[in-house]
Amino acid sequence: MSELILEAKHVTKKYPASGGRTLIANNDINLSIYKGRTLGIVGESGCGKSTFMRMAISLETPTEGDILFHGKSILGLKGEELRQHRQNIQMVFQDPTAAFNPKMKIMDIICEPLLNFKRIKKSEKEEVARKYLELVELPGDFAKRYPHNMSGGQRQRVGIARALTLEPEIILCDEATSALDVSVQKNIIELLVKLQKEKDIAFGFICHDMALVQSFAHQVAVMYLGNIVEVLPGSSVAEDSKHPYTQALIGSIFDLNMDFSKPIESIDSEAPSPLDVPVGCPFQNRCDRCKEICKKERPTLKKVAENHQVACHLYQEVEG
Amino acid sequence: MSIQDVSITYGKNPAPTVEGVNLEMKQGEIVSIVGESGSGKSTVIRAVLGCLPGGGYVSKGDIQFEGKSLLGYSQEEWRKLRGTEISMIFQDSGAMINPIRRIGAQYVEYIRTHEKMSKKDAWDKGVEMLEKMRLPSGDNIMRSYPFQLSGGMRQRVGIAMAMTFQPKLLLGDEPTSALDVTTQAQIVRQMMELRDQYNTSIIVVTHNIGVAAYMADKIIVMKNGRVVDAGDREQILHHPSDAYTKNLLESVPAMGGYRFV
Repeated sequence: MSELILEAKHVTKKYPASGGRTLIANNDINLSIYKGRTLGIVGESGCGKSTFMRMAISLETPTEGDILFHGKSILGLKGEELRQHRQNIQMVFQDPTAAFNPKMKIMDIICEPLLNFKRIKKSEKEEVARKYLELVELPGDFAKRYPHNMSGGQRQRVGIARALTLEPEIILCDEATSALDVSVQKNIIELLVKLQKEKDIAFGFICHDMALVQSFAHQVAVMYLGNIVEVLPGSSVAEDSKHPYTQALIGSIFDLNMDFSKPIESIDSEAPSPLDVPVGCPFQNRCDRCKEICKKERPTLKKVAENHQVACHLYQEVEG
Repeated sequence: MSIQDVSITYGKNPAPTVEGVNLEMKQGEIVSIVGESGSGKSTVIRAVLGCLPGGGYVSKGDIQFEGKSLLGYSQEEWRKLRGTEISMIFQDSGAMINPIRRIGAQYVEYIRTHEKMSKKDAWDKGVEMLEKMRLPSGDNIMRSYPFQLSGGMRQRVGIAMAMTFQPKLLLGDEPTSALDVTTQAQIVRQMMELRDQYNTSIIVVTHNIGVAAYMADKIIVMKNGRVVDAGDREQILHHPSDAYTKNLLESVPAMGGYRFV
């Protein structure tokens, strides 16, 4: 296993809600990001995956638990220390149109982080911007354009270029390809994988498309209502997924090789409100294999195989 | 329903945005139009409903519905057709609904615009349609504001409204794109049931080729305002004639399929 960079330990995030209630956005999350590896986080909207990412890049602070970067807690960082730390983790956003200032030229956008940290001089701007544009397979002349002169896929490449400039150890992508067409999406994923191999960057990739995530993530975490319900290697998602929710997510994918005469499988009901998570297993009301114990006791993550953990009462822990 | 060699032009722009679209549809058939953003797929179905935005017009060809050309229709004729004979589901039904009025008030108004009915009957009809869409307690939903419903529920309200008068043709403009995969599967299944129950014809525009393939009898692939490939499902999926279609099919991530790492 490669070097551990970022580790979340028992992270819980609660938000106060109206009527004195609390919304538990993340409940006891334990996740690790390793050097040069990709961690994919999958789940429906509102399951807390973005909240987790926001805590990882120090935009939010957890209510409980700790986040360690190279073994040191990043929660106590303040002021200049925190500013310096931000160079280590960068982010690529979902909507590349909203992520840029429309009045800035591409070279200003790409070089802004470098100028902020005084790593280059203003006179070097164009040269550096060209270098990074070529890295993300865009023509260097784009440096003088404005964001609105580019297509969505090109803009997303600029977003990746900007995240790369500070040479971070981790890049977090929040639905970075969801707004793009499938063929463009494929190119962006190929680019990310290429950059990962060249620069040994760790990626955290939030996505709701299970088929996409399993195609390039080393490890996939499935989230449901603020809980991690399953963690498994990307290569075994298709065959070895255990949790009923993971299987439901896979069942509702429209695959080109599926049997079109069969009705598509899906869960009928909707997820309960995160303000009102039931006692016991959070998935109980939508699970067709729900037992008595599921309604009383919340399952914890158990190791069922190497690198594979499931939080479900249907499976027993494997020793070793 | 038939679309014959239609070209659509926006404003004074001499080059048509969409060119040479042909489509023949029978009752109860489902056709999906796939393509990337900007390929003109939404423009085509908007033309069918006569609501092209910002100075768009059909510059060539003809669109016929039940043997009559739709192009010369007056505002009044359109009003009779829309909602009752042809109706549309939008990508985000939440944006279609007025955010500061309750669902019920809008639904009743919609029903009473098209049919003479008492408010009480219209309300009951609304509740009945919502419950057909498997929304729990229709009465409760009629009393809700749009923001109190989840995205999937709002989309179902949109479909319920579109299906109120059992139109012969249902147009879907990316009806499931804004939804989670589990909700998407539910909505797709419900749209398929509509066809089975009411023999509704459906044209669905989507960029999700998986959804298109699952639903459709016929698939049309568009690129830059041109139809690059058209045919029945088997033909498009297994023997695509155009390189673009092949590329598009290969780009769809599949479970257990190609891995990048």
